[in-house]
Formats: sequence, structure tokens, C-alpha cells
Amino acid sequence: MSEKIEKIKKNEKEEKRNDIYLDYQSSKPVDPRVIDAMIPIFSVNYGNPSSLHGIGDQATELLEKNREIIGKFINTEPNEILFTSSATESINLGILGYALRNKRNGNHIIISEVEHISLHNIAKYLEKNGFRVSKVPVDQYGRVKINKIKSRITDQTILISVQMANNEIGTIQPIKEIGEIAAENNIPFHTDAVAAQGQIPIDVKKNNISLLTLSSNDIYGPKGVGVLYLKKGIRVQPQIIGGGQERGFRSSTENMSGIVGMGKAVEIAQQEMDTESKRLIGFREKIIKEIIEGIPQTYLNGHPKHRLPNNSHFRFEAIEGESILLSFKDLGIAVSTGSACSSKTLEPSHTLIATGLLHEEAHGSLEITTGRFTTQKDIERMIEVTPGIVKRLRDLSPLYKEKPEN
Amino acid sequence: MKSTNYSEKVLEHFKNPRNVGTLDGSNVASGRVGNPTCGDIMEMYIEVKDDIIKDIRFQTFGCGSAVATSSMTTEMVKGLSLDQALKITRKDVANELDGLPPIKMHCSNLAADALHEAIRNYRAGNYNKEASGTTEIKPQTNVIKGEIDYIGKGVSYQVKNYANYKDQRVLVLFKGDMSIEIALELTKHTGRVILLTLEKEIKSDSDLRKKLLRSDVKLLYEAKLLEILGEGDVEKVEILDLDEEEKYELFVDAVIIPELLTIPSTTECSDDVPL
Repeated sequence: MSEKIEKIKKNEKEEKRNDIYLDYQSSKPVDPRVIDAMIPIFSVNYGNPSSLHGIGDQATELLEKNREIIGKFINTEPNEILFTSSATESINLGILGYALRNKRNGNHIIISEVEHISLHNIAKYLEKNGFRVSKVPVDQYGRVKINKIKSRITDQTILISVQMANNEIGTIQPIKEIGEIAAENNIPFHTDAVAAQGQIPIDVKKNNISLLTLSSNDIYGPKGVGVLYLKKGIRVQPQIIGGGQERGFRSSTENMSGIVGMGKAVEIAQQEMDTESKRLIGFREKIIKEIIEGIPQTYLNGHPKHRLPNNSHFRFEAIEGESILLSFKDLGIAVSTGSACSSKTLEPSHTLIATGLLHEEAHGSLEITTGRFTTQKDIERMIEVTPGIVKRLRDLSPLYKEKPEN
Repeated sequence: MKSTNYSEKVLEHFKNPRNVGTLDGSNVASGRVGNPTCGDIMEMYIEVKDDIIKDIRFQTFGCGSAVATSSMTTEMVKGLSLDQALKITRKDVANELDGLPPIKMHCSNLAADALHEAIRNYRAGNYNKEASGTTEIKPQTNVIKGEIDYIGKGVSYQVKNYANYKDQRVLVLFKGDMSIEIALELTKHTGRVILLTLEKEIKSDSDLRKKLLRSDVKLLYEAKLLEILGEGDVEKVEILDLDEEEKYELFVDAVIIPELLTIPSTTECSDDVPL
């Protein structure tokens, strides 16, 4: 018996050593440099920015310094940056808060079919509360069609919200063009930049963006911090009422360690983005080429060019995503899928459906997202094991048919 | 509980499934079940001698528990009489696997159902049941809801210039060889061509059929086009899965309803499928 336990322990150790993480989209490790920057906040600079004594003043200074860092990151002023507890909270404040505050001007909101699920659920909530939400369709690569936004604008439209890049298939949206349409029609434009941040440059001025959501963890900062950029003059209804912090838009004592961590994470991202994105594009191109060429009846989801550096997303005919995921898991490789069977609701990914896939096709998807600590070796291992996993599952599948020879 | 919170036994059967494959022969019958919501499809093949299941095989498209329950079912019933096998329930299979995550109890635990169907087919004398697609082609001929509204806005009856469909998602209604030819030609211009038919398979002369199966045309069997939708232009369609009797939406940019003769002159919509 003890021999068996020893064997299991040994296996566990070996598995740990070989673990490969290719799901950076769902969570990122905090950069050690960020942790170093956060440590003093817990026991040395522990003040409350609302306090008027010395240690409180130190906290205020830190808070404002980090507001400035984040402002610079998206090309705007520090007083337009609000700290929140997460990207989801930022989106709630930005969309729900904006709609409720401005409902006298109209009851219509435009979003895309491929927004993050949190935004879709906020849209559902708004619909229940007297608003009308139009969803703009996307093309087969997941890109929003500009003329389809135009045709949906009415005199009741008070907000347009389209993500900067898609969190599942990595498609980068035509943000500049959307911003122009929004500006021409005098409609504020919110963009969820969570998937894009740290991978492509963000410029709210150049792109006519009025509201923008960021997340700390998605840039190698700690979880529990988000940012909402609110352009001067834009008003939202607070979703958290309290002591009036963050100009009254978002009460609650500031999460100083988190904010300092996010600031540091942003600084690092800004310095390293150019070289890091090039490195990840190298991985991406290798993964896509080898998987598509090496495995029959395999297709790329998302756009071949307008694509986040860290994202590869595939569809394998006749197999199911949770089975793919479990097979990788067994080999110590963490990946993701848009299959219904792995979701809480048993619904397939709405993003994949919006690109024109059938349910059975959306089931067979595999998402690979790389990041700062991904190595060439990780990529090679993933490429090496994928054909075998796909073949085994296809051998089990009653749906797989090899194409007849010429 | 996480939907992938599987027991050791489930994972073991997923990794090393027993009795995978199909069976052939005079005493073989099969059963196939699918669940539209989760998307699992399971096929069971049984070989029967003296009322005893002598051999059994399965093929499954689905998640970890779909594979594991199929595998476990085959192990449980091999050697049993048909009456004994009919008594095996989904719950028995789940228990034998030390349980399933609650969310998977229904959708991925259909193996017993597939087995029961195979037994029923055996008893009904449907040995070696083949796809019953030997009947004549019955193309969809009714005017589709929305069809008239989108003429020139994504709906067309003939293709004059294939290049116009570059990178578009095109749905082609099956109306015979003409539809296959259009679909094949379209694949030269776009990666997404879907051919929709009411039938279980597409009948055509073997050359054209081979070409079609070799091509990148996505074939949608047992499907009926119900409605064309969109703001201004065609943006999506509603389809009825005839097998599961379930409606779903499919995002497309264009719908081609191949027509040799005339454009329908009526705006009346009819849901009848002429037989």
C-alpha cells in the first residue's frame, strides 16, 4: 500500500515539474517584480488615502502616482482613471451605471455579438429594465461589421460598446473606425480592453474612446483590481454607495496593495510590450502553422492577421472540447475550450456561434493562450502531443469521416 | 461542483475506453442516441446469439463522461441476456462509475439509452441497420419566411458572379445536382459554404458526390430552413433539426436557393414540406 502511495507521490512530483500552462487568457501569474512592489504596502505603507496624517498622505501620493501611470498607459489624464475591484465591476459601472444615469437621453445601447459574457449578461439585465439592446453581428473571423453599427444607430442610442479584442478567439476589432462613427453621431463609446491590454497599444484619444475597462490580473498584476476610464464630462450612476472615494463614483477604501501592484504591472507591460508581443507572435505563427498543416480537417477560429499575439484557436472536426481538454490535462498541459460540455450552462461559446459555427462545430474547439512565462519548449511539447490526442478522440467518434481519396 | 469533477473510475474509462468500434455481421444491431443541448452522440453495436449479448462495441462523440459511460455500459452488459440488459439504467451506469457530476447526469449519460435502442432494433429485426436514406430526394420547396424580403439583400436564386461571395458565409439549399455544383464552385471563393438538406444523406451521381465529400462544403443533414433574419441584409437564419426537433440559429451572410425556373411570385409563407 505504502509503495503505491510513494508511486503516486512520485508521479505527482514529476507531473508538477512538467506542467505546461497555456491558458493565460483565464488567469495569469503575478509577475515577481509586481509582488516585490506590493509587499511594503501591507506593513509599511499601510495608510488610508482618506486619512489626513502623514501615513495617510503617503498613501494618497501612491494612489495618485499609480493613477498617473495608468493614465499614461492609455494616453489620458490621471483624473479620468477610476479604480474598481475587477473588470466586471468596471463594466457594470461603465455600462449599467452609464445607462441608468443617462436614460433620459435614450434607451438604446449597441453592443457586439462577441462581447465578454459579463457584458452580455448586463445587456440582458438592461433589457429587463426597459432598455433596448442591439447586437452587431460579426464576420466569419469575429470582426464587427462597421456598416452594421451605423445601420443600428437611432436617435435613442446612448452608448456603443465593442471590445478591443476578443477574449476567446483573439480577433482585434476595428476600434478606430468604431470610435469615428461614435464621435460622428455624438454617442459615447465604451471598449472592454481586458483581452487586448499589454499586447497592443491603447490610445483613448486617438480612437475617440469615452469609457474603457482594464483588469489588473490580465496584465500580470494581482486579482481584485480593475480600472474604468471615464472621459471628462461622462457621468455614471455609482453602483457602490459609501464614503465617496473615487470622486464619488466608486466608494470603498482603496485597495492600495492591488493598485500599486497593477501600476507596477502596467509599467512593466509598457516597457516590454514591443519585444514580448513579437516573441508571442512567433509562438502563435508556429502553433497555427503546425497544427493546421499537421492535422486534417482542422480549422483556425478568429482572424488570421487581426489577432492578439498570444492567441491560437482551433476547431477539430468531429471531436468534443472537454475531451480534448481532459486529454491535455492528463499530460500536464493546461488549455481551454469553448465547448458546451465544459461550461457552467452547457451552452457552447456564443462567440464561436456568432462567427457562424454550428453547435457541433463549436464543441470541437481548442484555445491556446501563451504569455510571459511560456517557453519555446512548452510550445514544442504542445505541438508534439496534439495530433495524437485528436486522432485518439476521432477514433472514438461516430462522426469522423476521412475525406475520400482523389 | 465543477462539471469536470470526475471520479477516478470515470477518468480511467475515458483514458482507456473498453470495446471501442463498430460490429458487422448477421446478428448485429445498433442504436444511436444524441442529446441536442450538450451535443453528445453515442452509438452502440450488439452481436446477439441465443438471446445473449455476445459482443458489444461503441463510438461516442462527447465529453469525458459521455465516453466513460459508454465504455462502462459495454462492460456491464457483455454476456447478459437481452432482458437483463434492458434493465440496466442510466443510474446503474453512473453508480458503477462512482457517480457523475450532477450537471452531467442527464446529458452525458445516454449510453444505456443507446443500448436499449440497439436491443429494440435487434428485436424488431433491424439487423445491421443502415441509414434509411434510400428514399427519393425531397427538396425543400416552400417559400421560406423572410425569403422575399431579402432578395438582393443576401438571398439569391442563381449565382451570376461567384466572386461576389468572397469570404462570405453562404448557405445553399439542396435542390439536386445544381445545388452541389454551386456549392463546389463557391468553395473557390470562400472558406464557408454550408449545404442544407432535409435528407439523411445527399444523393447524386457518384462523381459529383465524391467531389462534394472531398470538398470543404459543410453538409447539414436532416435540417430545414425555417426563417431568414437580419437588420437590412441577411445576418442569420433559423434552422430546424428534424432529427432532434430543435430550432437553432446560424449566422450567415448569404442564402442561395437554387432555382431554374422562376422567382416565386407569392409572398405567402408556407411551412409545408411537400412529400
